[in-house]
Amino acid sequence: MSTSFGVLSSPFEEKFPKLPDSPQVTLGRELTTNLTSLSPMTPSCSDKTVYSPNSCQLAKSSMISESLKDGDSFVSYQHSFLQASESSGYSMDTEEVSWDNDATQNFLDIPLNIHVQDELVECRGVLASDGHGRNTDWHEWADQLIKVDDTLDTNWSDLLVDVNVPDLNAELLELPPDVCHRQIHQHQNSPTSGGQCCSVLSSPRAAPLTKARMRWTPELHEVFVDAVSKLGGNERATPKAVLKLMNVEGLTIYHVKSHLQKYRTARYKPESSEGASEKKSKNVAEMMSLDLKTTMGITEALRLQMEVQKQLHEQLEIQRNLQLRIEEQGKHLQKIFEQQRKMEENKSKASLQNSNELSQCQMVENPPSSGNDKPGPSINDRSNIKEVTSDPCLPTDQEYSCKNSLSPKRESFEDHELDSSGFDRPLIKQRAKFNGKEPVE
Amino acid sequence: MKFGKRLKQQIEQSLPGWRDYFLSYKDLKKLVRLISSASPPLECGKAEAEFVCLLNDEIDKFNSFFMEQEEDFIIHHKELQQRIEKVMENGNEKDYKEELAKIRKDIVNFHGEMVLLMNYSNINYTGLAKILKKYDKRTGGVLRLPFIQKVLEQPFFTTDLISKLIKECENTLDSVFPPSVSDAGTLRGEKEALALAGEGIFQNTVAALLTMQEMRRGSSTHSHFSLPPLKFPDSDILHTLQILPPIQIP
Repeated sequence: MSTSFGVLSSPFEEKFPKLPDSPQVTLGRELTTNLTSLSPMTPSCSDKTVYSPNSCQLAKSSMISESLKDGDSFVSYQHSFLQASESSGYSMDTEEVSWDNDATQNFLDIPLNIHVQDELVECRGVLASDGHGRNTDWHEWADQLIKVDDTLDTNWSDLLVDVNVPDLNAELLELPPDVCHRQIHQHQNSPTSGGQCCSVLSSPRAAPLTKARMRWTPELHEVFVDAVSKLGGNERATPKAVLKLMNVEGLTIYHVKSHLQKYRTARYKPESSEGASEKKSKNVAEMMSLDLKTTMGITEALRLQMEVQKQLHEQLEIQRNLQLRIEEQGKHLQKIFEQQRKMEENKSKASLQNSNELSQCQMVENPPSSGNDKPGPSINDRSNIKEVTSDPCLPTDQEYSCKNSLSPKRESFEDHELDSSGFDRPLIKQRAKFNGKEPVE
Repeated sequence: MKFGKRLKQQIEQSLPGWRDYFLSYKDLKKLVRLISSASPPLECGKAEAEFVCLLNDEIDKFNSFFMEQEEDFIIHHKELQQRIEKVMENGNEKDYKEELAKIRKDIVNFHGEMVLLMNYSNINYTGLAKILKKYDKRTGGVLRLPFIQKVLEQPFFTTDLISKLIKECENTLDSVFPPSVSDAGTLRGEKEALALAGEGIFQNTVAALLTMQEMRRGSSTHSHFSLPPLKFPDSDILHTLQILPPIQIP
């Protein structure tokens, strides 16, 4: 059971910007102890950061975030959650959340609606990104607990729509059976949860279905238009019928509904469909330009406008390509640097002489300061790494200017720091060694 | 602060409905400053988590807005095509001419709006890249590179579809506009151009172009990750187009 959340974290990190590993570990531990010391930056974010780091990522899924926002219960949940975890000695690791029985019992004491909502939230997060599992379990559970109309039953796949997939016909993402199913079952079986699940789950469940975002394409729109025309035009066609006729996997009735609405608006107000928002701004300007337009000729005026727009488009394309290339290079350089670093590490392990040379190189570039007096910090601890980096002994500039002798590229420094999975910086560890500080393991 | 100012300008000059969806650059900068100065080493991980959280919030905002607009554009694009087809069939009736004029205006404005969406995407990306750079610099973090790799894959930055629609728009122009007699390739007629610049989308486009040029002027922190400076051939004309102040919505 404790391994189940291991499944949660890794696929998720593929899809969303991930937090570096070691800070997560310390973060998790600190959360259980430093409740009071939290200083949230913004309301929306702080609530989520009180979660374990995984939940922070989970909360960021666009499908989930909206549903999370509408919960005062959410706020109260997190406090009770953490209290429970403290009282039961529940530890929040990044990779694993230990759902031992004690912890579960404590959870059940918490106002259950919130807890289940959270469960669902986390499961939805998994749904969004994981590619394993069976769909059928999900359906069974859904049928049992929730009385919804037909569309929702068949549209459990809604939850699985990954918003980052531009192509509509993405594979149907399936549930990992272990993770969600088991936890949901737990709550099903316990007496307190059974009844409450029903009422509660309908609301958070509805939320992701409506908010799951579909990325439309012209091809998909074609299918839509075909379906609508077959059904007698956009006045007569109903979302449900259109959905059925389109027969596209992953499409929900909510997607169709909103799209149909847009479609209707576009048809009946062709002039203002280009942006009702800018109509106001146009009025004054239009009066001014009307005279000149007649003299210049509207066509010519439009051509002029077109030219400027074309230029902007061209420049944007160029800029975008440049930006892509820059990041490509950065990634590439990081790899090269990683290789070099590994080579260097091997070399240094082989002979002491290398370490002497490098430490000399460092000392030469050190500014005269008291930096060398600082005791060797524990490198593996993130908090101390921060000290090390601000330590004038090992300032960032120094590091890379020394490194420069090995690799001429300027950004190699930045890339170099990324070779590790987190804030664990082997380079600093090495430097500390070379400087004669005791390597603290 | 240069980018921050430019971004603010850009937001002010953008379409009213869009103004809430740009990057909250100033707030993020404040946060970075806060994190770098205030937090003791122990809280670094937590602070970073909060920062990442906020960034993700922003990205969600961009994605939703972008995809919403994109959907509208897809619909509108199809509509225009249908209208053009209908008009072509109508022959030389009087209504046809009126409709054609409307279509022309619509196409140009539609084109402009799409380009502005691309600009929206780009400026937000640029802002994110900058804020990440600041974060790394201030806190000694290593957030930038991996994070930006994720950003590159986000819907709001994958603008290929919009670009395609824009190109298609440009192609349709030929069928809808009479063949150009004079060289419409350059911005000619300062006076006329000046007056036209008052129009919503056109004005925004001009503003966007100029802002882009300003932003790309050699920066103090130039590095391999910086974009080269930008110079438009007609940039002085563009400047005169900007004389009219942005229309303030009461």
